[in-house]
Amino acid sequence: MTEMTFQTDPAPTERWWQRRVVKRFLRHRLALLGLAIIVVMVLACLVGPHLLPFDDLYIDLRARFSPPFTGAHLLGTDPLGRDVAARLFMAGRISLLVGFAAMLISTVFGSLIGVVAGYYGGKVGAVLMRFVDAVLSFPQIFLLLALAAFIKPSPIMITVIIAATSWMEIARIVEAEIKSLRERDFILAARTLGLPNAQIMFRELLPNAIGPIIVAATLTVARAILLEAYVSFLGYGIQPPLPSWGNMLNGAQQYLDSAPWLAIVPGVAITLAVTGFNFVGDGLRDALDARSDLT
Amino acid sequence: MVRFLLGRLWQSLVLLVIVSVIGFFVLNLAPGGPLSQFALTPGMSDAQLARIAHQMGLDRPLPVQYWEWFTRLLQGDWGRSYRDNQPVLTVIWSHLLATLLLMGTSTVISVLIGTWVGVLGALRRYSVFDYAATVGAMVALSIPTFWFGLIAIYLFSLRLGWLPAGNMYTIGDGSLLDYAVHLIMPSVVLALVNVAVWSRYMRTAVLDVMTQDFIRTAKAKGLTRTAVLTRHILRNALVPMVTLLGLQLPTILGGALVTETVFTWPGMGRLFLDSLGYSDYPVVMGLLMLSAILVLIGNLLADIVVAVIDPRIRLG
Amino acid sequence: MADDQTPSWFRPSRRQVLSLIGASSAGLVVPGLFGRGEAWAAKPAKPTGQVIVGFSQEPTVFNPHLLHIEVDEGIHFSVFDPLFFIDEKGEFQPGLATEVPTIDNGGISEDGLHWKIKLRDGVKWHDGKPFTAEDVKFTLELLVDPNFKSWRRDGHNLVENLTVVSPTELTFDLKTPYAPYSSILAATFIVPKHSFEGVDPNNAPFNNAPIGTGPFKWVERMAGDHITLAANDGYFGDGPYLERLIYKYIPDLTVLYTQFKTGDIDVVGVQWISPDKYQEAKDLPGKVVTVVPMGTVESFTFNMARPQFQDQKVREALYYALDKKTIIDALYYGLPTPTETYMPQQSAYYNADLPKHEYDPEKAKSLLDEAGWKPGSDGIREKDGVRLAFTNSTTAGNHIREQAQQFIQQSFKDIGVDMQISNLPPAVMWGDYWMQSKFDSVVVGIDFLTGADPDVSTYLSPTAIPAKGGGGQNTWEYESAEVGKLLKEGGTSFDTKVRKAAYLKLQEVVRHDLPFLPIFQYAAVRGHKNGIEDVIPNINVRIDTWNVGGWYWDQ
Repeated sequence: MTEMTFQTDPAPTERWWQRRVVKRFLRHRLALLGLAIIVVMVLACLVGPHLLPFDDLYIDLRARFSPPFTGAHLLGTDPLGRDVAARLFMAGRISLLVGFAAMLISTVFGSLIGVVAGYYGGKVGAVLMRFVDAVLSFPQIFLLLALAAFIKPSPIMITVIIAATSWMEIARIVEAEIKSLRERDFILAARTLGLPNAQIMFRELLPNAIGPIIVAATLTVARAILLEAYVSFLGYGIQPPLPSWGNMLNGAQQYLDSAPWLAIVPGVAITLAVTGFNFVGDGLRDALDARSDLT
Repeated sequence: MVRFLLGRLWQSLVLLVIVSVIGFFVLNLAPGGPLSQFALTPGMSDAQLARIAHQMGLDRPLPVQYWEWFTRLLQGDWGRSYRDNQPVLTVIWSHLLATLLLMGTSTVISVLIGTWVGVLGALRRYSVFDYAATVGAMVALSIPTFWFGLIAIYLFSLRLGWLPAGNMYTIGDGSLLDYAVHLIMPSVVLALVNVAVWSRYMRTAVLDVMTQDFIRTAKAKGLTRTAVLTRHILRNALVPMVTLLGLQLPTILGGALVTETVFTWPGMGRLFLDSLGYSDYPVVMGLLMLSAILVLIGNLLADIVVAVIDPRIRLG
Repeated sequence: MADDQTPSWFRPSRRQVLSLIGASSAGLVVPGLFGRGEAWAAKPAKPTGQVIVGFSQEPTVFNPHLLHIEVDEGIHFSVFDPLFFIDEKGEFQPGLATEVPTIDNGGISEDGLHWKIKLRDGVKWHDGKPFTAEDVKFTLELLVDPNFKSWRRDGHNLVENLTVVSPTELTFDLKTPYAPYSSILAATFIVPKHSFEGVDPNNAPFNNAPIGTGPFKWVERMAGDHITLAANDGYFGDGPYLERLIYKYIPDLTVLYTQFKTGDIDVVGVQWISPDKYQEAKDLPGKVVTVVPMGTVESFTFNMARPQFQDQKVREALYYALDKKTIIDALYYGLPTPTETYMPQQSAYYNADLPKHEYDPEKAKSLLDEAGWKPGSDGIREKDGVRLAFTNSTTAGNHIREQAQQFIQQSFKDIGVDMQISNLPPAVMWGDYWMQSKFDSVVVGIDFLTGADPDVSTYLSPTAIPAKGGGGQNTWEYESAEVGKLLKEGGTSFDTKVRKAAYLKLQEVVRHDLPFLPIFQYAAVRGHKNGIEDVIPNINVRIDTWNVGGWYWDQ
């Protein structure tokens, strides 16, 4: 699986919504391409199923293994005669949703751990960050598969375990960020004013770290989509007949010789979506990097 | 320096204990267990399975089981596999070489190609090559490894028939060439992601060094381009590279797991999946601990190397 | 039976009784299998050549008395011998014993309680030590040793007064007459006593480097890859005719088939060739591909403790809604045989007169209507607050079964029944989830018989429900007093006619009650290279290499 440990180096004084950042992002051609890919895919998944004459769940054994572009089925049919295009769009809804939701959970949780660890430092910080280190010492796939044995494989539970194996990076980034912000004047001022800790952490500190969080979150969506694909590919993820890009690939290996489109179509969709999020993440990082103006 | 190292070592040991606790409880609390695979053996009864579970000590409280496992580990006893009753280290050892072969080959490939692409990209910054390399790396990072493997099998084995679809060697052959032919696809597939990561880091590292004063001095002194590149830029870029290699270890391990599944490679990834499938917890725990140790050693080495090569970094 | 008191099951030797599967399956066993006599002519004078057998699971347990899976038995049959074994016709043939003990030949007393086993003289273990009655005694004692993780005690725990009379003879008594013991002995490989002296039998070095009397000797194991065996030149029986035998582990069925196709492996072992490859496989040049019936029966299993399934009409309706023919023909390519019972059709105890299943969704709907299951607002039927909704599970990764599952889901939806799929990894599936009946319904293939005996108490006896404290595997929680009575009748009577009557009736009752919907009896697509002779299927054993000692390359 791809693992991205790109360090972010933002200028904390400059907030992400400032015009220069937006401008820089809009100049980033790859990021725009990525954004376009995502928008098109989301729209296709929303609208697509309504345009096709086939239901993604309808089984028609007479039409099994129809190749793409030959008949009524645009992208062919699967071993049960279901329309691959219809399944692809419905699967996209699930896979993208799982990706987004896993990103949200892991971002919230990771930020929480990071803020607390970074703000309090000392023993609390050490314990929390060692825990983060410990979880990071497991190869992610190991942990994910071990957790998959625990749960009933519903989309929600899959989302939760993906989030459970993806929050550490964000926690690290936020902790580092908060630690460097903690000693800034405005925080010291807030402390002397006697503001409650929670308010300092979430009102003052966190908004200043939002840039790197957004970058990491975007990349987390990409990774979550990949992880879902892998768990479902192994059969432990989203369960049929509910389609996901990953479980469409499950079993495709068996038909690689006779029906290669079963492997190609969902794989291309996954690659496209993940590429889109990676492009956007990359663009955001560059846009938030003040140094990029210098070059 | 020694104090720094001891401190890091101590932290790593604490981490290992935490890892073992998390791993042990996650595995053992999961439903099912090592005996469930025998449920459909003709004539098998619940009573018989319960008897064996008792003999194996599986019916004792988890903390007790953990403590026993842990104290034995301290004495160097990693336990025995539930599947073939061999000592865990023997089992892992018999799969280690296959994985090392795959990971090693793939790392060499990715370092070679990655360095080349990265350095060239940095030297010709904003050229078509640089741009293509950047986009290519991003796309490579986005392709699911297992899918890339499937497509490679489809093309090179099923359609073209150039390369074997799986396995490490042909029984009865096992010549060097035979191994090499079997290695090509899995190692290239595994290298794909790492080439991408490596080349991007290399590019950044080289760019960082290039803007520093001493390079300008070297250039001013009239050193040739190659000399500057090899003597100064690459050597200085090496620091983050070594660090990266240490940090990338879990990724490469995880990637090996996926690749081994697709190419039926008899390595540790395959062993992990099989052991997980059979709930062979002693082996799974052994693999988890081993990979955690490797990761921590990687981090530690990276720290040391950085400290030794780059004296600017303060230890403490 | 002249003497009604004579336990007929103790006269199993040649023709009848325990015979489960006869040559009746020969119609399915296609070309390549010549008559034995003709084939024998070409057997090589000394072991020649090598055969590579591919398995999709890895053999890891080489001590035949530890808990193991079916592929492990491939190694056991190659390295070890039982006292006597069951051949493909369901008849016992002598192995390490000189004759199969029966009442007729005096090996078993008239009351079935006293047994006398005569052993072959001059048999040597692979390490050169002589095989004696002490080894047999040790083996039978090991199986019930409380410190040993024995995989099967049933039957062996009835043995007492085990006495070595001479190196070639031993006697023992049974506490009570026990019908299936001959079948159990036929599946009990004898291990050498001297390999276990002074060591914990659970961790003996023997367990990873087995020493047997069988046609092949242990050479080495490359973990995760293959196991190599070599010919035992001093084998007492027929063969071996191969110099080397290699068991190759190929974890993926598609790759297993591809390697068979390319000739990398010579014989496809478990899990054989997947049905969707049969059309292509049968025309492969230089390969012999056959469809072989198996003892495993695929069923749609209910948890009868669930309120949805307590109504007999519901189970009947679901059976009507099950489109068996399409599942078999389209998804399984017509290879398995539809069935109405758990008993393999080749068995002497198979009831062929059970009512035939019909696919009739209209009938299903009207049955449910009659029984008061009315469609709710969402189209799903309900009655007294119970929705006709349930989950269905099977092991993740069995693709064809998963397809069948989805097809069944659609069929059920058409009659207003909501079935949700919830598949699990095998280790989770067959743990408490299965044993303690935590499922709603399951699609599963089960081999109900142990060896060749028709007794199915483990699966159907009302006292064998683990969820209710029983020790068996009646996980569908099927509680029928009549079944209990019939099982007792069949298990304690020694008259074949009485037994047969009881088991025929039992199948009728089960067919009526439908604790599970029988779908089909499995058939395996097996394959081997042209030129390997005497690869004979045997439904009475779990593995195709049961007679590997007799395999040879036709020159």
